[in-house]
Amino acid sequence: MTKDAKAILQVVDLHKQFKDLEVLRGITEEVREGEVVSIIGPSGSGKSTFLRCLNLLERPTSGQVYFQGVEITDKKIDIDRHRQKIGMVFQHFNVFPHLTVLQNITLAPTLERKIPKEEAKDRALALLEQVGLVDKQNEYPRKLSGGQKQRLAIVRALAMEPEVMLFDEPTSALDPEMVKDVLGVIKDLALSGMTIVNVTHEMGFARELSDRVLFMDEGVIAEQGSPREIFGNPQNSRTIDFLSKVL
Amino acid sequence: MLLVEQIIKIWSKYSTVFLDGLTGTLWISAVTVFFGTLLGMMWALVQLSKVRPLTTIYGWYVGLIRGTPILLQLYFFWLWLPKALPLELSNTQCVIVALVVNSSAYVAEVIRAGIQAVDFGQTEAAKSLGLSNRNMMCYVILPQAVKNILPALCNEFISMIKQTSLASVFFVSELTTSFKTVQSITFLAIPPLIISGMIYLVVITFLSKMVNLFEGRLRVSD
Ligand SMILES: Nc1ncnc2c1ncn2[C@@H]1O[C@H](COP(=O)(O)OP(=O)(O)OP(=O)(O)O)[C@@H](O)[C@H]1O
Ligand SMILES: [Mg+2]
Repeated sequence: MTKDAKAILQVVDLHKQFKDLEVLRGITEEVREGEVVSIIGPSGSGKSTFLRCLNLLERPTSGQVYFQGVEITDKKIDIDRHRQKIGMVFQHFNVFPHLTVLQNITLAPTLERKIPKEEAKDRALALLEQVGLVDKQNEYPRKLSGGQKQRLAIVRALAMEPEVMLFDEPTSALDPEMVKDVLGVIKDLALSGMTIVNVTHEMGFARELSDRVLFMDEGVIAEQGSPREIFGNPQNSRTIDFLSKVL
Repeated sequence: MLLVEQIIKIWSKYSTVFLDGLTGTLWISAVTVFFGTLLGMMWALVQLSKVRPLTTIYGWYVGLIRGTPILLQLYFFWLWLPKALPLELSNTQCVIVALVVNSSAYVAEVIRAGIQAVDFGQTEAAKSLGLSNRNMMCYVILPQAVKNILPALCNEFISMIKQTSLASVFFVSELTTSFKTVQSITFLAIPPLIISGMIYLVVITFLSKMVNLFEGRLRVSD
């Protein structure tokens, strides 16, 4: 079964339950090519869980996820192949501590896409150049600041040439002075046309950069619209309540 | 003062008996931990496979080995192996088999714990990049788990040095047997006991220090 190919990601009636806690309670949504979607909402509303269902780090209890028209919730599918095209960046970076900066980036392309070592290295260096980390290429992550680790994590994902990037609060574990660098990288990425799904607490960033904002509450998308609609004229009382607390 | 004199006398006369015993203890421990590690790795793979009947068997195996006294396990293999195999087996061989089996259960748990101690975020990052389970294990998880596993394996070797003293029950040539041998020749018990004990103490203290140093090294590179 294939669906609309212009939508990179589609989810249909997504449910996720942990034991007797229902975290996602029926989400139907799509992300279109080139779109930048921000997901906001109170803590515990299921934002991370939703994001992690998009690349099946979390397997939904029911419902389907389609990536480029292919149902990846289908058990028979080779999920690794599809994950290669879905980049993900985590709150706590999760860079590989036993590998150098360069090795962090080249590992997946050389292993899974059989890109020759030299070529992978050249491309990694080009990426490091873009995020200002070339001089750190041979360092181990323990020598990097939080902001540098996160930039590394971003280019590590980009090295697989993904079709879409998922961000889960990429700046919320960072010291304030490092937030700007990381947001700058994400902004460049958005302007380059990358499709992005960004779970964020950075309301300014969501307002400035998103094509669409989803407000999640208690496991559903309670309201969505353009940044202007959501931030300027929210309709749902819970959206209003949430925004009044964070803005 | 009499005791000290006796100790010195016995040592000067029978030091080769004790040193032979120490050699026996060390090589039995080394052989045991080596094969115990091989077998333990296989068990760890079984456990990691997450295949249902296999992991259940693993659970029983580890439970049985850790839930019964090692001396009983030694007796079991000593009594059963010669009957089960059409081979002439020495006491030493039976004891080594028993210790290998015992050690493998502990090593398997050490490996499992070492792997589980690697931050789950590493698994998630590897998966999100589309690494296969195999590549994730070989290139991301195991290289980090080794840092937890190696010191624990060294400690297993150290604790095996103490365990092998049980082999003296079967008169296998090792350090506790040396004490018994010298006792039966000299009719003195406490002095040779103290000598064996001091050799254990020196060797084990030295090895523990080495492991600590080694652990410190591994931590620095983290
Ligand atoms: N693996 C898990 N097992 C059990 N419960 C979980 C698990 N992961 C998440 N939860 C629960 O699901 C709910 C939603 O979690 P989720 O992390 O998706 O929220 P969130 O919107 O991302 O919150 P935050 O803004 O704090 O990151 C929470 O109550 C959380 O405790
Ligand atoms: Mg979250």
